[in-house]
Amino acid sequence: MDIQKDLVAASATPIVLSILRQGDSYGYAIIRKVREVSGERIEWTDGMLYPVLHRLEAAGFVKSTWKTAESGRRRKYYRITREGDAELARLREQWEVVNSALERLAKPGKTGVDDV
Amino acid sequence: MFDLESQIRKWRSHVQAAGTLGAQDVEELESHLRDSIDELTGRGVSVEEAFIVSIRRMGDAEALHDEFAKVSTERVWRQLLVPSADDAARRRQRTEITVVLLLAILGGLLGKIPALFGHPVAEESALIYGRNAALFAFPPVAIYLIWKRALSLSVTAIAAATFALVAVVVNVYPSYEPHHTQALTVIHVPIALLLLLMALYAGRGWRRPNLRLDFVRFAGEVFIYSVLLALGGLVLVGVAGAMFTLVEIDITPLIVNWLAVFGCCGVAVVAAYLVEKKKGAIETIAPVLARIFTPLFAALLLGLIVTMALTGQGPSADRDLLIMFDIVLALVLGLVVYTMSARDAENPAGWWDGLVLALVALALVADIVALSGIVGRLAAHGASPNKVAALGENVALMVNLGMLAVGYFRFLTGRSRYQTVVDWQMRYLPIHATWAAFVALAFPPLFGFA
Repeated sequence: MDIQKDLVAASATPIVLSILRQGDSYGYAIIRKVREVSGERIEWTDGMLYPVLHRLEAAGFVKSTWKTAESGRRRKYYRITREGDAELARLREQWEVVNSALERLAKPGKTGVDDV
Repeated sequence: MFDLESQIRKWRSHVQAAGTLGAQDVEELESHLRDSIDELTGRGVSVEEAFIVSIRRMGDAEALHDEFAKVSTERVWRQLLVPSADDAARRRQRTEITVVLLLAILGGLLGKIPALFGHPVAEESALIYGRNAALFAFPPVAIYLIWKRALSLSVTAIAAATFALVAVVVNVYPSYEPHHTQALTVIHVPIALLLLLMALYAGRGWRRPNLRLDFVRFAGEVFIYSVLLALGGLVLVGVAGAMFTLVEIDITPLIVNWLAVFGCCGVAVVAAYLVEKKKGAIETIAPVLARIFTPLFAALLLGLIVTMALTGQGPSADRDLLIMFDIVLALVLGLVVYTMSARDAENPAGWWDGLVLALVALALVADIVALSGIVGRLAAHGASPNKVAALGENVALMVNLGMLAVGYFRFLTGRSRYQTVVDWQMRYLPIHATWAAFVALAFPPLFGFA
């Protein structure tokens, strides 16, 4: 499924923060997780994740550290900060408002356009 | 046979090329790429296919750069002066900044030497400062390069000897009215000394054309940075002077004798440091300027030739015309060389190369048309130092541009690679410096120091 570009951009931050909330992770694992939880329906261009992560880091929502895996490969791990937690809570609230508005509009009669 | 490592290396240099990504960013992406390849090959996909799929998933390098640039617009500049995260790198950075500052001060102290001999900054001593300008500004840059490249003691000794020799020669030469040879020395010493800096910049590889080309780029950027820093300095000095006037204190002597001297003599090494530092951090400026002005200059030359042909206007002032055309040819050469420095030698010939050839050809035609008329008259009036110097430069530049025209023509017609043009041009550079050295050092005695 092709999700609109703007929607992908807007949802990237809450999705990444939500994944990091479940535990520290690195870029490749985050991409895989996104594919997995969306049933392969959300497809990001892999490279684009990194600017997002770096922007989050610049904003203080995540912190990164280099770690070396057993295979000897160096990976940059990201951890969510307290500000990140707060930001995620804020974003979720916003998504819920939008989401519930859409849901209510999808079932006309209950409330919404018809009543106006 | 598919060689994964060499493919990854190529990909890495491709991603790095535009310069918005730092070393750590690239490492992170590479680690991702390898993870992706491992997973795919684990599922039984061939290495080659896994590589191609992973690259595609990674996304277009250009879009990637745009995204990274958005994150790092401020970082591009921050990289220049704020210590990097890594501890060892931070220490190195601090040492380097200290060295550069000390060298800038050294430049300023060199600039105070004439004052020590009773020649403060004033109009009467303009020639003294002029002929020594390069000897104040260049040694700090030379020391910086020697330090940075960890060059051997013998190289250092040669550099020191060269500076000392030039310093002695330009200062013990007498100068009589109308001071023409002296003025020639002032102009030509820096050009000659650039050759020395080139040797230091390239270190052991000074014969390699591509390192020389790097130096050309470096020198151009240092010049541009110096101008920018100097402009900033002027504003600073102007504001300072105005403010002290308000409290009725005249700081002009302080400005002229200290701030100006230290600023002018120290600016080159600071600019050199900034250029070395930002290598790969931002797009280079000089080649961009060259790109913008190449078509404009071609149009200007075309206009000049057409005007000369239509009006049949013969050149009047011989020497000035000669000097003017030297400047035009030198500018054209500069444009071509800086275009060259921005060009990937592996790229095929394109319309831009055609435009460069046109520019070179136009410059040659204009030069020949303008000079053919005055050669006879030049000889008739006898040789003056200015005329001979200008004529020598004209010959050197004409041969150079002729060579470039042939090189570009052969390249455009597919008979040689672009690298050949680069090689020719870079081997030719020392000839300009040698002629400049000859004018600066041998002309005064040849023409009786007049």
